[in-house]
Amino acid sequence: MNAVAENVGRLLVRLQSPDPEEREEAVHGLGSGAGDEAIAGLVLAMEDPDLGIREIAAEYLARIKGETTAQLLIRFLANDDIGTRNLASEVLVKLGSEAVPALIDNIECDDSDVRKFICDVLGLIGDSRAVEALTQRLWDENANVACSAAEALGQTGASQAIEALIMVARKTQDCVLPAIEALGKIGDPQALPYLYECLDSEDPMVVLMAIEATGQIGQVDSIEPLARYLNSSNRTTGEAAMAAIIAVSRHNNDRIDIDLPLDKFTDFLFDGIRNRDRAITDFTLARLSHWFGGKVITGLLDVIEYVEEDELKRITDLLVEAGPAVASPILSKLSHASPAHQGRLLDILAQFADETIAPELLTFAHHDDPEIRQKIAHILGSSGYAGAIKTLKALATDTNGHVRAAAYAALGWVCSEAEVDFIISGLEDKYSDVREAAVGALIIIGGPKVVAKLTADLYHDDTERQRLAVTALGWIGEEEVVNPLLKAINHPDAGVRKSAINSLVKIGDVPNVEPITLALSDENSGVRKAAVSALLSLRGVEAVREIVVLLDDSDVWVRYHTISSLGDLGRSELAEHIIPYLHDDLDIIKLAAAKALAQMGCRDAVPFLHELKDDKNRDLADVAEKALDSIGGRRK
Amino acid sequence: MEIQLREQDNVAVLTLSGRLDLASGATLKEHLKRLAEKNAVQVHLNLSEVEFINSSGLGALVSIMKEIRLQKGRLTLSNLASYVQEIFEITQLSHIFEIYSTENEALATYQAAAVR
Repeated sequence: MNAVAENVGRLLVRLQSPDPEEREEAVHGLGSGAGDEAIAGLVLAMEDPDLGIREIAAEYLARIKGETTAQLLIRFLANDDIGTRNLASEVLVKLGSEAVPALIDNIECDDSDVRKFICDVLGLIGDSRAVEALTQRLWDENANVACSAAEALGQTGASQAIEALIMVARKTQDCVLPAIEALGKIGDPQALPYLYECLDSEDPMVVLMAIEATGQIGQVDSIEPLARYLNSSNRTTGEAAMAAIIAVSRHNNDRIDIDLPLDKFTDFLFDGIRNRDRAITDFTLARLSHWFGGKVITGLLDVIEYVEEDELKRITDLLVEAGPAVASPILSKLSHASPAHQGRLLDILAQFADETIAPELLTFAHHDDPEIRQKIAHILGSSGYAGAIKTLKALATDTNGHVRAAAYAALGWVCSEAEVDFIISGLEDKYSDVREAAVGALIIIGGPKVVAKLTADLYHDDTERQRLAVTALGWIGEEEVVNPLLKAINHPDAGVRKSAINSLVKIGDVPNVEPITLALSDENSGVRKAAVSALLSLRGVEAVREIVVLLDDSDVWVRYHTISSLGDLGRSELAEHIIPYLHDDLDIIKLAAAKALAQMGCRDAVPFLHELKDDKNRDLADVAEKALDSIGGRRK
Repeated sequence: MEIQLREQDNVAVLTLSGRLDLASGATLKEHLKRLAEKNAVQVHLNLSEVEFINSSGLGALVSIMKEIRLQKGRLTLSNLASYVQEIFEITQLSHIFEIYSTENEALATYQAAAVR
């Protein structure tokens, strides 16, 4: 006896131990081994009194696979213990195609229960090699075996079994329903004539099964016979017909065009959406462009809680397009809905809430969920309802930062100058999004009081307040902000000085540019660059005389920016200022000069650009070549 | 500011150009008031040529939106220049206005709604 066999022998002995731990260890030992002896041991363990040990053995057998395993397991299908039988079936299914030959070999055994289990297992495996054996079992003397064989043939999807299935259904009453079900699963249109016959059956179950199977086959031609049942007095039959038509529609990528009595199936369709039935959801939503009324609106408002994000978007778009007509149904649902549902309803309401709707929403400002309070702040603001100001001010002191931010933004949409002092207090909030929302509100309100407050803030102790103030003044953009911004060009903080200049450019109408001209000699290079851009934007070519001094600025990026800005003017008469820089020590300056000259279209620069196009710096050479192309100075 | 008005499929389409400020905001509100008197409350504003908008201009738009909502109408905007887009973001007005990239895109949504 070799060492492996000796070891397996020892494990088999331990498998008989009264100690479950020892038996479990033995199963692990056998599972990690190989060979028929180990498999036999594991099969033996399938009868262990301990369920856990039986399951471990089953797991090993499923992993080892092989025909031997299948042969040994099949005998457990006759086991008295239902748990063991089921475990053996599960392992056989896991063995898959490797178990098929052994199962077919045993399909005619004497025990009808085993024959039934074998049919069930073969159905779950779905291997086409079993079709012939299963077809023969359709005529089994035991009805349960025949029914299982029919079901298994359906799972196998074998078109070659259709004839036999129809024959057995015609001859054996017990097999009618499983055979029809199997025909539906196989999905072959060859079965349709028989299924259409079944649609006329006097047995309502046969009709139901035939409707379902016809739908599964998915032929457009089937819609007409199915549609007859939409008006059935039996609700179940009608809904089955609608489900079958939906299946046909899905099978054909929803490319069916037929008038259906959808109103009759509103509950069925919306229940389908609620139950996350993808086919019903897609079918229903696709029909909403032509099918839209009060009952549909109510249905949609009910199901938005249950749909996924993409469907929610489709539904929301539809409801928003329906407009204010949906406001009343939303308001009536709002108080009884879950917070998630309320959130979605409020998102729709936000699109058209007005002064008449807003008062109904004030109570929700006290909702426990901060997300709801945030949405309420948003809606109250967008409604423009002045009566909401008190509520919005309360929400602006909410414990949740997102709610406060939404409330401050909303105050900007509804408030006048009277609330400026309160909104200014938002600039002291610990969260930046709240501070920014307060700034946004002040920008919309604007006016002398806001300008005065923000001008004062330019010299606040907090640098961030100064910067927020200068930005806000720029966006307010009224005449009265120009002087404070011009003064801010001498502000101690370079960021404020730069923002003030940029804001003046945005406003555009600046009566006195002298402070900006003086900023050309600012100690900060960013401010000097902003001054160059501002002067060129406000005065155009007239500003060139002042800014050319910066072509020799100590900061390379100021020089680069000045050259580029002059280039942007596109005036060839300015080229004389730029050409010398084609010989600068720095490539980056030469590059800026070449680009600027191209924009100016200056032919005087051509000889110098020719020198540069052979430069060893490829970027520079490329720019020179492009400039020559642009000016038209290529040598032939 | 110039305002060009045309009607397309029951939507009043106003194309604005220039600066939207106190004076032009008042003119725009006046235009919209006249339209409302004729029951034209489906309004689209194409802002592609609006180069500047200030506090008063924003206030005018907010006020117009409020009026149109009260009349159960609909207001859409399109073609916001980057400057205008930026101020809409800062003031969060982008959250309350129905904004489309193009006029066609906006008008298509009116048509879709009309089918229903």
